[in-house]
Amino acid sequence: MAEIRPPAEVRYADELAAVAGADTAARPPGWKLSPRAVETYVMGSEAPVGGVAITPKYVGDRGLVQVAIATLASDRALMLIGEPGTAKSWLAEHLAAAISGTSALVVQGTAGTSEEHVKYSWNYAMLLADGPSERALVPSPVLRAMREGQCVRFEEVTRTTSEIQDSLISLLSEKQIAIPELGVQVAAQRGFNLIATANTRDRGVNEMSSALKRRFNFVTVPVVADLEQELAIVTRREAELRGDYQVGMAPPAELARVLVTMFQELRAGVTKDGKTKVKAPTSTLSTAEAISVLFQSGILAHGFGTGAVGAGELARTLVGALAKDGPDDLVVLREYAETVARTRPGTWKQLHAAVRDATGGKKRKTDEP
Amino acid sequence: MTRRPDLATLAAVRILPVRHHSPRVSQVVRAELDRIDPDVVLVEGPSDAGDLLSVLVDDDTRPPVAILGYRTDGPSQSVVWPFASYSPEYVALRWAHEHGVRAELIDLDIGTALAIAEEDHDAEDPDTGTDTDTDTDTGSEADTGSEADTGSEAEAEAEAEADTDTDTDTDTDTDTDTGSEAEADPAAAASADDDFDSLDDAIASSAHMASFDEVWDAWLESPSHAAADLNRALLAYAGLLAARGRRSHRTRHRDAVMARHILATVAAGTPPSRIVVIVGAAHAAAFLAGDVDLDLADDLPAPLPCARTLIPYSFPRLSEQLGYGAGNRAPRYYQRAHDAGCDFERASLETLIELGETLRLRGFAVSLADTIEAWRLAVTLAGMRGKPAPGLDEARQAAIATMGRGEAGPIDAALAPAAVGRAIGRVASRLGQGPLQAEFWREVRARRLPERDDPEDLTLSMVDDVQVDTSVFLHRLRLADVPYATFRGAGRDRGAARGRGDDDAGGLDALSRVREGWTAQWTPATDVALVEKVVLGDGLEEVASRLLLDRLAAARGTGEAADVLLEAVVAGCPAVVARALAACDAAAAHDDDLPSLARACAALSALTSYGTSRAHTGGDAAIATLCVTTFERAVLRLPGAAAVDDAGAAAVKTALRALHEVALAQPRVAGHGRDAWLAAARDTADAFDVHPEIAGLAAGLLYLAQALDDAAVATAVSLRLSPAIDPAAGAAYLAGFLEVNALVVVKSRPVVAALDAYLATLDGETFPDVLPVLRRAFAALGATERRYLLENVIAVRGLGAQAGAAAAVVAATDRAAVEALAGDLAGALDDLDDLL
Repeated sequence: MAEIRPPAEVRYADELAAVAGADTAARPPGWKLSPRAVETYVMGSEAPVGGVAITPKYVGDRGLVQVAIATLASDRALMLIGEPGTAKSWLAEHLAAAISGTSALVVQGTAGTSEEHVKYSWNYAMLLADGPSERALVPSPVLRAMREGQCVRFEEVTRTTSEIQDSLISLLSEKQIAIPELGVQVAAQRGFNLIATANTRDRGVNEMSSALKRRFNFVTVPVVADLEQELAIVTRREAELRGDYQVGMAPPAELARVLVTMFQELRAGVTKDGKTKVKAPTSTLSTAEAISVLFQSGILAHGFGTGAVGAGELARTLVGALAKDGPDDLVVLREYAETVARTRPGTWKQLHAAVRDATGGKKRKTDEP
Repeated sequence: MTRRPDLATLAAVRILPVRHHSPRVSQVVRAELDRIDPDVVLVEGPSDAGDLLSVLVDDDTRPPVAILGYRTDGPSQSVVWPFASYSPEYVALRWAHEHGVRAELIDLDIGTALAIAEEDHDAEDPDTGTDTDTDTDTGSEADTGSEADTGSEAEAEAEAEADTDTDTDTDTDTDTDTGSEAEADPAAAASADDDFDSLDDAIASSAHMASFDEVWDAWLESPSHAAADLNRALLAYAGLLAARGRRSHRTRHRDAVMARHILATVAAGTPPSRIVVIVGAAHAAAFLAGDVDLDLADDLPAPLPCARTLIPYSFPRLSEQLGYGAGNRAPRYYQRAHDAGCDFERASLETLIELGETLRLRGFAVSLADTIEAWRLAVTLAGMRGKPAPGLDEARQAAIATMGRGEAGPIDAALAPAAVGRAIGRVASRLGQGPLQAEFWREVRARRLPERDDPEDLTLSMVDDVQVDTSVFLHRLRLADVPYATFRGAGRDRGAARGRGDDDAGGLDALSRVREGWTAQWTPATDVALVEKVVLGDGLEEVASRLLLDRLAAARGTGEAADVLLEAVVAGCPAVVARALAACDAAAAHDDDLPSLARACAALSALTSYGTSRAHTGGDAAIATLCVTTFERAVLRLPGAAAVDDAGAAAVKTALRALHEVALAQPRVAGHGRDAWLAAARDTADAFDVHPEIAGLAAGLLYLAQALDDAAVATAVSLRLSPAIDPAAGAAYLAGFLEVNALVVVKSRPVVAALDAYLATLDGETFPDVLPVLRRAFAALGATERRYLLENVIAVRGLGAQAGAAAAVVAATDRAAVEALAGDLAGALDDLDDLL
């Protein structure tokens, strides 16, 4: 048996080891790497480090990653905000892996997140049998990170209730958790910090208080606007997924380019040449969505198709991805195919036909009998 | 090459390569001057501006200032050489002044620079259209120069070298255009803009930095350097750029001109080691390599006639020369560093603190803790990037993460005043300012008008004599095309003004206004225009008068002459008022154009009513007389003018309304004039050979003035609308008739009866033809007018009884509905009682 998705520190163990080996700069207390080395690990390196090629984990603005790393070395926590699918969690995972050697300490923020998830809970069988004891204590990831001096991730902070957000305030300013049952205070060791992510689409759901905001430095992770950059991200991540799941097949490069171009044009509401206006869908067309669509097209071709990934598979996956927010987005897709794809050569033309089959065409067929 | 020995001498001179507007280079230049203690300092700059140097280095002159060279032979064209107090050239000139050392400028003279700019302008391809657009935007007359800037690569390069950048054009597009070329300044070779961009980008990206500006700050500005190291670095960069493309022939021309000047100084007896030359790195590299063709100095266009002066410059304009190199991205930031002895760390900290204060004033929750955290983050970032101290980029990014909570927008907006600044320079008063400049600044200070390079709103009350004078001043500037104040409308605030875009700055509106809103912003373009306009006169009044007289000379017809008259009054130009009056009088005698006469008449009538006090002429009596004669002439032209086609009808109708208003409102023409008008109008209303809309309008006007009674109107309307008349003509008559004051018309039952009768006679075939005209006529009616119209129609048709029955049905339905509702309501109240 093999894990579907090993954590970053396992998957990139060789890269981390190589970077650490070559890292001679001063490391902040509790850090496994110096800030420069963390940057090298995240942004990748053109020349191999210690004989190991360092792949870029985040493609985009280097300054943003530098601000994130510099923040984690300070006493403020880091807040990554941005649209869904902009690789906030991905970046957070790699930062934690590089700085603390583990990305396993994570709290998933939901409406149901309780204070126990943030602080500690008990093994009730032992609690009842022996009373409160260190053995009966079930520490939260935050508590464990404090004890070990590591980075803990807190996903989707804005989805938690304001009570949980308030409990974070004291935790981040005192840097300790009191366990009155045991009569102890667990103080954070050096190296402890918190990486939170928040979705700008969730803004207003549980708006953070200004007191909490003051405990964070904010880094906005932007939507990738550059075609080549996004294309590189999509193809690399799709290949990784294929490796992880051992299914699907490699899509031709042209298909990936068509998909990413289409996503960027739909997002911007205008074609790349600036000449044609297109309707923007309500669904979020994130980079993550593009990766998933491309990967699933591969599976579709592998399992059910002709054995080659083509416009047909892409169109069918797109319909599935866009139907999430209702039928309106399918109309948007159809319109895009008719007005933009049809006028372009090669794969675009095939996509136009395939989308027609997958949307309008199908409907007509089912109506006939 | 026969001049080899000379070129060896050239290399023996103490050459200090510079990058313009660089605090660090300035520091090194000053130190080198102290060390060498030369007998002569030669500085890159226009060689014929030497007489301005003593004013430039005067203690009362405060940079940023610029040398302005402008043409005196007609076309508006100018070039500027700006100096900040941290510019190496300025520092060198100041040093020379302080130590009593001779200083000279050695570059092309202004006239030749202008000639080259014009030559390149003529030769340039047409795709630099953006410049022309932007110049129109800013209203700057000084456009020719800036167009030339962006022109051919050679010129752009030359511009960059000499700082003769975009003369005061306030547009960023232009600056961005020139920017890429200008950035190449020390290298001078310009095969294409992309070359420089790509080289600078390559340097930036290999350094993992966001921009070449950042590289420059981090490597050359911020760290302290030994003079030799810095010079080597500058020459190396120049060499790098030169290696990528040929040096343009303009740069080589300038090399030659400057080299000759240097050699002449040596020939005059100063040993080379006692001469310090301050030039751009590209020139320095050429001198040191002996790569100069002295003969090129003879191969230059003949200089254009020109004059020169010093004008104040501003930080915002300085910063618009984007990519030009150190000093331009953020003048205030570099000024801070310069003032702190090239301590860039301190400059960054000061900027961050001010940024926090600005944000707080703008209502953002920024605590001192945020500022401290921002500074700590900036320091950590600088450490990660291997910089000795946080620069502007670190300060910005740290501020976004802390104060901005991840949002760049508010931070960038608040950073502009802290980093770019708004400061404007001052030129020592002993330089005879141009008379227009002197007048402008005297008035602006006396009237406390905005002096900053930042838009500011002001409202003038037209009942206050002092503020009326201010208005006259601003109108004169407007007429003289001096970019300073823009008329915003008669409202108190911007919002109100936007709603009414039809409000003209001058003209009839200006006479009756009680309040004027303006937006004023001083830019260097203001001073450039003031300097250039001197050819038109020594005072603003004279300039405005000259331009108005030009317009008067070109005026066709009485109307246009009257427009000039109005402007002359608004801008207080009595000389023009008299001439314009004479022109009106002369033109009216021969003018057969009714609209033109009527427009003049309206203008004269307004002047008679509101007076010409702004112009201080005392010629009101003459205006009143002229008003009467113009009115009489217009009335005489009415019958002939009213027979026009559809296209001409609108103008005649406007004329009719204007004349009607003058006839009824203007006491001078009342009596005899009024009677004459009414008679003429009646003739028009009755005539069948005039355009029906005009006839209709005339009838409407007469009815409104109670010169026609109900019965007469009803007769006229039914006559006009009788079946024998073309229905389209009937409808047009109706449209003209209703145009006047529909309310009065529809209130009159006999008139409505006539209308109703006409409409009833239309058969199915003709109705569609006249429908559009009818629709247009009746669509202009408001809700109240429609109600009166319907009431009258009901009364005329005797539908009153039926209306009563209909009302009863409506009332009954309403009552039933109310009762049903009452049942529900009672139920709801009971439920509520139960609950309680």
